[in-house]
Amino acid sequence: MTPVHIAGRGLACSLGLGVEQVLASLPQLASHAIQVTLPGAMAGDYPYHAIPFSRSDWNERARELVQRVAAEAGAQQIRDGVLLIATSSFDIGAVERGATQMDYQAFADKVAAWLDWGGPVHVVNTACTSSLNALLAAQALLRSGAASDALVLGIELDNRLTLGGFAALQLLSRTGSKPFGEHRDGLVLGEAVAALRLSTRDSALWRLAGGANVVDGEQPTGASVRAVKEMCAHAFADSAVAADAIDLIKVQAAGSPGNDAVEAQGLRETFKHIPPLVSLKAAMGHTMGASGAAEIALLTACLERGVWPLCENEGDAELGVTLAATMPQNVRRFMATILGFGGSHASVILERA
Amino acid sequence: MTTFAIQGRCLSTPPPLDWREQLAGMLGAKPRRIGNWAELGLYGALNCLAEAGEKALPPEALLLLGSRRGTYVPTGQALEQMHDDLPMPLTFLQTQPSQLLALLAAQMRWRGHAAFIAGGTPQALLQLAAAQCGSAGVLLGWVDEMEGGASLWLRLKPCVIGGEKPVVASAESMFSLDATHLYVVGNGVQAT
Repeated sequence: MTPVHIAGRGLACSLGLGVEQVLASLPQLASHAIQVTLPGAMAGDYPYHAIPFSRSDWNERARELVQRVAAEAGAQQIRDGVLLIATSSFDIGAVERGATQMDYQAFADKVAAWLDWGGPVHVVNTACTSSLNALLAAQALLRSGAASDALVLGIELDNRLTLGGFAALQLLSRTGSKPFGEHRDGLVLGEAVAALRLSTRDSALWRLAGGANVVDGEQPTGASVRAVKEMCAHAFADSAVAADAIDLIKVQAAGSPGNDAVEAQGLRETFKHIPPLVSLKAAMGHTMGASGAAEIALLTACLERGVWPLCENEGDAELGVTLAATMPQNVRRFMATILGFGGSHASVILERA
Repeated sequence: MTTFAIQGRCLSTPPPLDWREQLAGMLGAKPRRIGNWAELGLYGALNCLAEAGEKALPPEALLLLGSRRGTYVPTGQALEQMHDDLPMPLTFLQTQPSQLLALLAAQMRWRGHAAFIAGGTPQALLQLAAAQCGSAGVLLGWVDEMEGGASLWLRLKPCVIGGEKPVVASAESMFSLDATHLYVVGNGVQAT
């Protein structure tokens, strides 16, 4: 099967602009969330991971961030390739400010114009799993020969609707993100723009081996154990790797009391020996539709540069899983998992080429 | 080239006046608080599957859903609610297009690969389907609630032999009673 390489990456998140700045900020994770005040029944302050980049105009800020991140990933080399935009919120922040109308195609056209994109454009919205599903679609398109290059662009930017909706559903933490933590009490959301450039022409350090997405309608706002297990099994099959060949799992672990427990149980029932686990949510927040691309961009950089996120909160012994305090040695192959709204469970496997 | 045989379809543009009653009949009860767009999607998808002679998709099949405007109505409602309060939880859920995927999966008691693609064209959606689906095929839908509503669905299975003299397919010809096969050729879609 035609190998699909991660030939470039770019990232903007609360830790900084560009992979290098994010890596440099990673060990100081405690200081990066700001407080956002919400009105109404769930009124109060909520921690939020905002990108440290200000512009008065929403569209102008989005344009600069998208162009910067895409350029970092080398998108200018592949403007005739396939662009897959992954988002759960589109440009709703601009709609809230009266700067545009809610229109999917207008959003796609706007982003494509920012990048002077000439190839096909698809907008994938499967809520939190959007980026991973965009990766799976990109891999399929590249393997089919429809294109040689693709850019997966996760965009999740400041808007009140997502924060307000999650607050209304009582899914947000007021204290901070505690992945797999004993005192976890909800999600901390964040902004990110992340780009992964995929290529069947350019070889690179990391190869996308495969993955899977399983939608289970049993829990429309959460995860199910059976779907986590099926997701893992399908991802192994699609990647032609065995469970014991996985050296590291980047878990969803967003700090949700229920979902973290479901994910942990799914992992316990899938793996005879659970590999080392890592979560990036405490560092950058849960960046929703951008999270898959953002966390892969950061994790691959971490593994290459020997940087590891701090793991400050006390783990929940009842979960039977723990996050790795230090970087595991010789990671050749890792899984990256995102679980999300709409009962979507997605995971991809990357391996060193 | 990928050739698909059309095994079933629902071409409701607009849906019949009694579509909500029909949907309630198919579900066994009136759907509650899922929103008009999702109800419209459920109506078309279940009709399409029934025409294909299936109660549920095979686990290996793909479910791909597209839309021009998707959940813009509940999104507008949620933004209105946010003028002085948080959105209502159910209104916020209705803003998420992927909720329809979960509803369909639950209704079919199915678990599998499903995705929502925003904007674009039905032809582009079919190209994604051709790249991603296996021998179990795809349930491909296009749902909008503007202009009286549209719930267009095709149950497609890959096949080896199609019809004769395929012609370039528009969205209208993809979703027409005349089409028997669809072909993804390079960056184009054809139909017979």
